[in-house]
Amino acid sequence: MTLRRRLVDWSLTGLLILVPALVLRASLQRGTPSAFDAAVLRLTAPLEAGVTWLAEGVGGLWSRYVALIDVEAENRELREDNERLRKELAEMTRRAYDVAALEELAVLKKHTPTDTIGARVIAAPLSPQFRVLRLRLDRGSRDVQPDMAVIAGTGPVGKIEKVYGDYADVMLVSDARSKIEVVVKRTGARGWLIGLGKPDSYACTISALELAPQSELRARAGDELVTSGVGSVFPPGLVVGKIESVLGDDGMFQKVEVRPAVDVSRVRAVVVLLASPPPPDPDAKTRKKSEPAFGARAL
Amino acid sequence: MRTATLVLAAYVLCVIVGACWRLLPAQLLRDAVPELGALTAAYLGLTARRSLAAAVGGSVIIGYLADIISGTPAGLGALVLGITCLVTRSAQQRILVRGAAMTIGFSAFVALVDGVVGLLVRGAAGVKLASIGVELSHLSLVVAATALIGPLVWRLFRRIDAAFARTHRERDAALEGLMP
Repeated sequence: MTLRRRLVDWSLTGLLILVPALVLRASLQRGTPSAFDAAVLRLTAPLEAGVTWLAEGVGGLWSRYVALIDVEAENRELREDNERLRKELAEMTRRAYDVAALEELAVLKKHTPTDTIGARVIAAPLSPQFRVLRLRLDRGSRDVQPDMAVIAGTGPVGKIEKVYGDYADVMLVSDARSKIEVVVKRTGARGWLIGLGKPDSYACTISALELAPQSELRARAGDELVTSGVGSVFPPGLVVGKIESVLGDDGMFQKVEVRPAVDVSRVRAVVVLLASPPPPDPDAKTRKKSEPAFGARAL
Repeated sequence: MRTATLVLAAYVLCVIVGACWRLLPAQLLRDAVPELGALTAAYLGLTARRSLAAAVGGSVIIGYLADIISGTPAGLGALVLGITCLVTRSAQQRILVRGAAMTIGFSAFVALVDGVVGLLVRGAAGVKLASIGVELSHLSLVVAATALIGPLVWRLFRRIDAAFARTHRERDAALEGLMP
């Protein structure tokens, strides 16, 4: 190589080193890509996009279908976690259920005027048509006695029928042997609520419900029934249920069908009344003011 | 023509590595990106026949394209690879890169030179540097990856060189790594 050619080569080399240095300086000052950079990028972008698409496709194929070595172990772990969490959820749900029952019991005890004791429903034998026949409570002979009233949040449930050991069975208001004196709240008519003992419903009826001469004083569907508090172990004013339908009359008494207010299939806790409620004060609303002993007394 | 083909092949390789490397499983592997531009510049410098300007020009172009791909300031990679090419050119008369061990060693040396020159240029140009520890650990990863991938890249380049050989002797010499 001649000296001249060598000089030209070195000069070109120097220039080629100088150009990127100047480009770098300019690009650092500018901060954004130049129009030339953008044009080159636009030209080269399709190739980059194609290669990236291909690489990601192959990579995705690998990760989705081939590299599944740890998936089985991970799946097993997740299944175990899932099972554990389900158990925890079931336990928490059960506790929440218990807490709700106890809250219900506390409210009920607060609003009941006599001595009471709370009890939890531990069993509820069913009829072939899946209706509760009686309730079994976790209170035994030390706490309760037969014929004690059992009430739940919205009304009477029944009476203690049998006590054995640490348990007691409740005869429901829908049982054919149950008899509670009730009052039709709207008309004031009295009668005896008697269970129909049907295996497929909790329906009751009222015996000796007088047929009033005035039609507006006759019982109608939807009328609310409350306990009278007379001749019964239940305190007065508890909502027993509603008249579902009037079946007719025999000229003297009305025949009705009653739906109890308490859905015994959902009762989890009850209150047992330990003593009979105090009899209602007959003069509660009609008591007169005592007259003055001296002075203005009329002769 | 030979230089243009080498630059084009290197550019395609850079694009492929850029697309594939980030799919590697471990972060450590993803950080160890081989410096293909440095390998190209080194090969061009080492195999420059008569004209050094062509080799430096090819290195500058591949550096510029690498800048465009990677988003570094335009000219940074071009300048670094231009200087790397000059450094390897100076080694041309002293060493013969032949055999796997030598190629791996030389690739590591090239990556190291490229990294150090890159640090110096970035420092001189006022581009913000990471802490010394981070820069050194990254440099060591890049050197290791470049050393491992070097023999494959060089084999490809030698194949391209062999395709441009005018005689059987030149072709064999290119494949053997005895060029120029």
